[in-house]
Amino acid sequence: MEYILHLAILICIYTILSQSLSLVAGYSGQISLAHAGFYGIGAYTTALMSVNFGTPSLLNLLVALLLSGIIAFIVSKVAVKTIDDYYIIITLGIQVVIFSIMNNWQSITNGPLGIPGIPSFKILGFAFESKISFLLLSATFTALVWYLLHRITSSPFGTVLRALSEDEVYTNSLGKNVHNAKITSFVISGMLASIAGVLYAHYISYIDPTSFTVDESIFILSIVIIGGMRNLKGIFFAAMFLVLLPEALRFVGMPSSIAANMRQIIYGIALILVIYRMGVKKYNSRKRQATETI
Amino acid sequence: MDITAQLTINIFVLTFILFLISYSFSVIFYALKFIDIGHAIALVFGAYVTYFTNIQLDLSLWISIPTSIGFTIVFMLAINQWIYKPLQKRKLESWQMMVISLGLYIVVQNVISLIWGNDSLSLRTWQVKAGHEFLGAYITDVQIITVVVSIVLLVLSWLFLEKTNIGRQIKAVSSNPELSGIFGISRNRAVVWSFILGAGLAACAGILIAADTDMTPTMGFNWLLYAVVAMIIGGMGKMRYLLLGCLLLATAQHLAAYYLDSKWMNATAYIILIAFLYFRPYGFSGKRIKKAEI
Repeated sequence: MEYILHLAILICIYTILSQSLSLVAGYSGQISLAHAGFYGIGAYTTALMSVNFGTPSLLNLLVALLLSGIIAFIVSKVAVKTIDDYYIIITLGIQVVIFSIMNNWQSITNGPLGIPGIPSFKILGFAFESKISFLLLSATFTALVWYLLHRITSSPFGTVLRALSEDEVYTNSLGKNVHNAKITSFVISGMLASIAGVLYAHYISYIDPTSFTVDESIFILSIVIIGGMRNLKGIFFAAMFLVLLPEALRFVGMPSSIAANMRQIIYGIALILVIYRMGVKKYNSRKRQATETI
Repeated sequence: MDITAQLTINIFVLTFILFLISYSFSVIFYALKFIDIGHAIALVFGAYVTYFTNIQLDLSLWISIPTSIGFTIVFMLAINQWIYKPLQKRKLESWQMMVISLGLYIVVQNVISLIWGNDSLSLRTWQVKAGHEFLGAYITDVQIITVVVSIVLLVLSWLFLEKTNIGRQIKAVSSNPELSGIFGISRNRAVVWSFILGAGLAACAGILIAADTDMTPTMGFNWLLYAVVAMIIGGMGKMRYLLLGCLLLATAQHLAAYYLDSKWMNATAYIILIAFLYFRPYGFSGKRIKKAEI
């Protein structure tokens, strides 16, 4: 039972991460690989503050939101200069730089040794220590993030994002500020990702830089792509699928050393198939358009 | 030991390995027009097949190296034939092709991990000995071989591209596919030949890296990204600018390793990349904003 609760908490964390990435990668069409960086910024902020100063968790959460928002602003100011594959490459570079800082700035982040002994999440003296209470907490946050993203994406701002992902010049000609919309969406997405980081740090109570690598970014991006880019519900199910996949493999009787690789193989294949489907859809719709115009 | 001389030699060797990889990558990039992360497969595959034939089957290096280069070329051609070509017919966007190649890389890398394990392996059966003294610095046999082989291969492939008929066809197709189609040059043939050239060179680079240090299933990704960084710095087109980009990258990395710490090497490469993309966002594609094709 404890284990099922643990998996449910992980699903919540990954749902927050991938849905927030969906705002950038899906809606505004900027495929970012720096997402694990913001996840890590959230986790490190709360870990350092609560271990060193013993500050209340909600204050940590606010500071983490603010800090990741500021960094996301700077990052997006840089990254917004490029599009498509260059955007992927530049955000990948930013991710590596953030990871290097976490891994190498030993006087503050304690380097590869990580930060142990992070206290549990407390609100007004109530500590979320048991698994069931933490699950409720993270489910609440997931629901909040989901609702917020749903509101954002169905608002006029969401429409602007969808428009600019197709054609920037046209969106600009309608009097919409493309540059600002891109940066705003990136900042919101980075801030939401740091919520997941805060939850993760308090839940696991020990963090080290290896949880926030490029591979993690790729994993989050694959959840978004497999879930259907702009489909929040689909992304939730994709997160569930990819978190439960190694357990399913273990259930079939695969040793855990092979299961880790098998999981990656399966999500690699899933990535290829999903993009292939996108291509087929596009091809069919083009063919339909062509026949209609004739 | 003379530090300056030693640094110079290290930079020199790294420059040539980087140049070999980024040249092989750029040949394929010209033909396919997207950032093919699957190219990292060729690096890893070459090294591991050499390990399999040389160490596990106990063949001599003279047989195993050509065999592994051949296998790599066949494997990459198969990937092109059955995965990239059908997908490019569907007119997927370049970032979608890039994600597909990433998925492919994840799959192949994990299959290699399953077969040979995640730990680092070594091609070394010979005795490790101190390098030759050269101007007060040390250079090992493998490093000398690396530089000589790279120069020979690069001169040969330059001759191939400039002097043979097929080489000219490759260049024609990469600069203007439509026009060369009108002139009766087969795009398919050019792509196949650039794959043969690119995959062969990458396999050689993989073997050289494995002989110099060790090999791990994940080494390809890092090296490939360095090559992409060098290519973005150097810009497209002329071979000498590419060489300049590699030289700049290698110098920056070794100076960072010497003055700061070797753990900052990775971050240095990506900071240079970010700076270059920030100030020259056109990169080598020349596209800056998203515009729907009509």
